[in-house]
Amino acid sequence: MADITCAGMPATLKVEGVMREGKPVYIVQRIATLLAAALIFFPAASPSRICNMINKNLSLFTSGISYGSLTGEMGRAFSRGWLNEGVIILLFAASLVMLLGIAASSAGGCMSLGNLKFKRLGNIFSLAGGGVQILGLVLIYVSYVLIQGAGNVDRVGPRFPAGLIVYLILTVIMMLTAVIIRIMLPKAAPDSQYEMESRYKLFLIFLPFAALCFVFSYLPLWGWRYAFFDYSAGGILSMDNFVGFKWFTSLFQSEATKADVVRVLKNTLAMSGLGIATSWCAMAFAIFLNEIKNLRFRRFVQTFTTIPNFISWVLVYAIAFALFSTDGFVNTIASQIGLLAEGAAGPNYLMSEAHIWLKMLAWGIWKGIGWSAIIYIAGISGIDQQLYEAATVDGAGRFARMWHVTLPGLIPTYCVMLLMSIANILSNGMDQYYVFQNKMNTNTIEVLDLYVYHLGIQNGNIPLSTVIGMVKSVVSVVLLFAANRISKSVRGESIV
Amino acid sequence: MAKTMQEKLDAKAERSYEKTHKKKWRLTPGNITFNILNYLFFTVFTISCLFPFYYLFINTISDNAMVKTGQIALIPHGLHLRNYIAMFSLSDLGNAFVVSIARTILGTALMVAASALVGYLVTKQEMWHRKFWYRFLIITMYFNAGTIPWFLNMSMLGLTNHFMAYIIPGIVAPYNIILVKTYIESIPNELEESALIDGAGFLTVFRKIIWPLSKPILATIAIFGAVGHWNSFTDSLILMQNAPQFYTLQHRLYVYLNTSSNIGQILSTGGSVGTLTSSVMDTKIIKYTISMVTVIPILLVYPFMQRYFEKGIMLGAVKG
Repeated sequence: MADITCAGMPATLKVEGVMREGKPVYIVQRIATLLAAALIFFPAASPSRICNMINKNLSLFTSGISYGSLTGEMGRAFSRGWLNEGVIILLFAASLVMLLGIAASSAGGCMSLGNLKFKRLGNIFSLAGGGVQILGLVLIYVSYVLIQGAGNVDRVGPRFPAGLIVYLILTVIMMLTAVIIRIMLPKAAPDSQYEMESRYKLFLIFLPFAALCFVFSYLPLWGWRYAFFDYSAGGILSMDNFVGFKWFTSLFQSEATKADVVRVLKNTLAMSGLGIATSWCAMAFAIFLNEIKNLRFRRFVQTFTTIPNFISWVLVYAIAFALFSTDGFVNTIASQIGLLAEGAAGPNYLMSEAHIWLKMLAWGIWKGIGWSAIIYIAGISGIDQQLYEAATVDGAGRFARMWHVTLPGLIPTYCVMLLMSIANILSNGMDQYYVFQNKMNTNTIEVLDLYVYHLGIQNGNIPLSTVIGMVKSVVSVVLLFAANRISKSVRGESIV
Repeated sequence: MAKTMQEKLDAKAERSYEKTHKKKWRLTPGNITFNILNYLFFTVFTISCLFPFYYLFINTISDNAMVKTGQIALIPHGLHLRNYIAMFSLSDLGNAFVVSIARTILGTALMVAASALVGYLVTKQEMWHRKFWYRFLIITMYFNAGTIPWFLNMSMLGLTNHFMAYIIPGIVAPYNIILVKTYIESIPNELEESALIDGAGFLTVFRKIIWPLSKPILATIAIFGAVGHWNSFTDSLILMQNAPQFYTLQHRLYVYLNTSSNIGQILSTGGSVGTLTSSVMDTKIIKYTISMVTVIPILLVYPFMQRYFEKGIMLGAVKG
């Protein structure tokens, strides 16, 4: 393949030797570059937080691209002359310079996967990036020195950012390795082309997506650390408020929390349980629909019973409102046929707490059954028709065929669906319950996801809601693997 | 074209019916009763799925005074479209509409492009540590850090109260990547190989060969993605707490549904239709009209897209 051996014919052996010896240097350089690139998203490692007036949740990335966020809390400081805005503009520019430098170094790191010619270009990028980063660090330091001469030092509160040291170390490593590589790399043959092995090329195209996936799916796990601190929104994590497993034990020890959790778990399990207990309805729906002979009618039913699946829960609530509120459809009809006294206001069915679990179940079925039935309808058309013939020969009537042929043919699909819903028993989502909640029914409608939202986002109890979320996630994963294990041993097929 | 597709589907359904009823049952009383009940059940259930939309609709186009006193239940009276015209003066509704449209188009386009490219990349055996990276993506479907860590992460990234919070996190969608990958693996790879031998790069092969060939699956994931974006509510609720200008249409509808004061007054001060609306439109009618505005796009595209929806769920059943 196109690898370094193509780079320079006479120097081939020498180049390979250098490559092998140079490998550890490259690894050190790549690790340092990767760290520098990853840390731009961590506020704790931001070199730009040079005073207490800068929000502590600002990462280097945000500081460098959003001047508005950087100066979010400084309006008063500027207008009263506590702080010269020029210092902050310098800081913003310095952060941007840092980002550019890190970007150049990262590009250089990517190019170092190519052939000799690519490596040399990448090395230039690394050197330039390192230089730009040093410039950025110096500028940040200058603004740190300048900010100590601020008009009102007490209010502004200059502080030396630990991130500056971290980035200084990383930048020095990157520069050193780049210089070493510069010395070691032989000249590329003048006629050589930029080439890279396709395995690395593919990987580099893939890399940005892996980064996105990391940032939005793995990075949130880093937030689990809040479970071990006495943290309130806008506060800071330090060893002073480290509380170990306090929030975990409070789940069992604090009476108020315990009562809440028990109530919420009861709602969650009841509603999931009702959903699971009625999950066969979709299969029955499919089997009975298959007994309809008129094809046009069948298509019609199938088309229009799937519509509710594609509208949001807010719209379902809007529909419930139109049908069941005080002046909704039900009450309109009731008063027209005389069930409701003239001029009397009918009951608002949405405001009552009665049978809320069953009502939620009914809405769930209304929304989902047509859609869930599609997979069973497809399953029916996959059943071997010889089975039906044999059953007919044996004297089975229509219902016997439904019961003894169609139903057993669908059971495997049903089992998969059932296992999946058991694995999801704690996650019934919050949309449905959020939109249907009101002050009358909040006790019985609050499921785990909704409780976490209320506790964490509305009441700001971040540690406890994180703990509950953690326990929920772990239980869900365990249930999923258990379900998978069961499926494997019973059916010989995995479901995940 | 569409008609032949419909005929094909019907023929398929007919075959499955034939299969299950090779011999016609006799018209026993049991069978007749069952048939009647069966038809009755499906008729009633289908009506229950359609009627709410009809009811909302007739209440928004009927004479407002009659709607207000609850006289419109089954048949519209005094048709007019003034309620819909009045909606134009609700500037935050128009704003929410634009936000929802923008996120649906932009979010779906980026998600589809990314799923196609990544789905292609993970089929390439020679990619560096392909198996590891594929699992790295897929495993994220099965765990979830929880609402609060997710929210804290988004605010750490500066994505709270920012429109991009709707777009960027949705670009990499593992489930859709699986669907695309499975589909691409089913395409015969002679075409691709000969192009690679002719010196085309991976991106050229992707653009010229893979993308056009995998259009059916891309259409399917695009439609699911678009419906998801249009219907999303929770992300707007949690992330846009201080940015009402970025509320999605669903969120705005929710806010209106829970406004107990007279929205008609907001309307009357809002624009020139004030004289018309303040006297006649009441809160209920406005709520109904906004609901219709939110649901109409779905109802309009649904009949054309249904085929893709059904294909989508079947593909999901055979993932690998």
